[in-house]
Amino acid sequence: MTSHPRLSSPSPLVSSRTAIALTAALGLCAGAAHADATLDRIKQRGKVAIGVVVGGGPFGSIDPATQQLVGWNPDLARDLAKQLGAEVELVQVQPSNRVQFLQSGKVDLLIASMEYNADRGEILGHAPTPFYRVGGTAAVQKTSGIAKWEDLRGKVVCASQGSSYVKPLQEQYGAQVRGFKSSAESLLALRGGNCVAAVHDATLIQPLLRNNAEWAAYGAPIRDEILPAPSVVWARKGEADTIAAVDKVVQQWHRSGWLIATEKRNGIEPPQPLLPELQARFKAP
Amino acid sequence: MSETLLGQAVAALRTVGLNYAFVLDAGDRSAFLRGLGVTLQLCLLTIPASLAAGVLIAAALTSGRAWLVQPARAFVELTRNTPTLVQLYCAFLVLNMLITQHVKLPGGNPLTPFVWVVIVVSLHKGVFHAEALRAGIEAVPRVTLEAARSLGFSQRQLLSRVELPLALRFALPSLVNNLVDLVKMTAVASAIAVGDVTYESIMIWTQRDNVLELLLLILVFFGLLTWLVSLAGRWLEERWRMPGYGQ
Repeated sequence: MTSHPRLSSPSPLVSSRTAIALTAALGLCAGAAHADATLDRIKQRGKVAIGVVVGGGPFGSIDPATQQLVGWNPDLARDLAKQLGAEVELVQVQPSNRVQFLQSGKVDLLIASMEYNADRGEILGHAPTPFYRVGGTAAVQKTSGIAKWEDLRGKVVCASQGSSYVKPLQEQYGAQVRGFKSSAESLLALRGGNCVAAVHDATLIQPLLRNNAEWAAYGAPIRDEILPAPSVVWARKGEADTIAAVDKVVQQWHRSGWLIATEKRNGIEPPQPLLPELQARFKAP
Repeated sequence: MSETLLGQAVAALRTVGLNYAFVLDAGDRSAFLRGLGVTLQLCLLTIPASLAAGVLIAAALTSGRAWLVQPARAFVELTRNTPTLVQLYCAFLVLNMLITQHVKLPGGNPLTPFVWVVIVVSLHKGVFHAEALRAGIEAVPRVTLEAARSLGFSQRQLLSRVELPLALRFALPSLVNNLVDLVKMTAVASAIAVGDVTYESIMIWTQRDNVLELLLLILVFFGLLTWLVSLAGRWLEERWRMPGYGQ
């Protein structure tokens, strides 16, 4: 019964503590004014929050035994944090909300299967060296008779909300796109017969079709990928120091062959030709 | 002419930091307008459908016959105690897939995502209507029922001529409350890619990242719809007021 007044009474103490903390924080900021706010905060807290997409498959999934995030995106995020000298805080994001997570400061960086395009480049900052290249491919029923992108004209196509393939599918190929919350719902909708194709990153569809008996009736017959684009690490706009620090790490990843090894370790097939290309470029002085 | 007017409006809003450039793009603009239309359609279909479901369930609940009461009560509890979004996913992703796989109709599965939203939202809100109506039915004074019975009313006439008209007046404020909630609930349609205003906005803002601007529009639109619903409710309360009854 008496705990209530006791809990609320020492407010002068709390506020004086806050004041001390604030002064300390201000002092630190003034002392370390050479880096941008995010890099400062990462160094100060010893922690970096990185948003990752875990859509299942080798690029990011949850290990059912340990509940840990595993796969390509989490691996990259962990190593990036290590190279930045900070502890990693992995935050799961969706393609539909990842930009808001970054802009609102819930995460400092995004390694979220998010490819570069000019619109995104306008509003966000990114490390210019790509760590991968991803294009879209279509999963269709093997009996559907679809063999090229043009065959999708006028047909209903499932995708995820926020996918960059929506625009070319609608404008270039005249498909009717239905966007679902995530790729999981979109793929379920494909199997429910609500669309003739589900278009997602080839890096998601290829392993899914290859490794699943449930998907035996489906294939990815369209050979050329739609909108192949470089995957980059995203940061908030104008944070030049953070971006420079991240880019240095990405270049080092290429130089040391760590990305190629990580790709192999996660069982990603077929291997991305961009990786050896960039390794050669960064190795040459 | 209207194009230049729109352009000026967009330019004016840009000076206060709001980017409404999407209205100048014919594709995005028509998608957004179509979204407004679909939300309206959803409301116009789910409001009567949910009320009809509510009356039926309330009639079953108050029928006094165990074989009607018990299934109705079970349905009410199940529907009321699970989230609408989960119900929608279960209906559309599970039930619908099973139907597609097992019913081989020539034209394919006739149940579109739109139909599923109407069914799920109507039943979900119908349950709440039923509980509101049950409260109203049980509030009808015993003597009134006795009087009606002594006039030779059958059980069905009793319900349709005496209980429901009185119950409706009792329940009207909570029914209107439910309907306001129903209007807002139609936004779950976006989860299964039905092109309501929320869905179309998400599709636009994931390309343009003008989240704030579109959310402001959505807020205004839903605010307008719910205001109309409560206005209609108040008008009905006035119109159906019975002197000497209730107040």
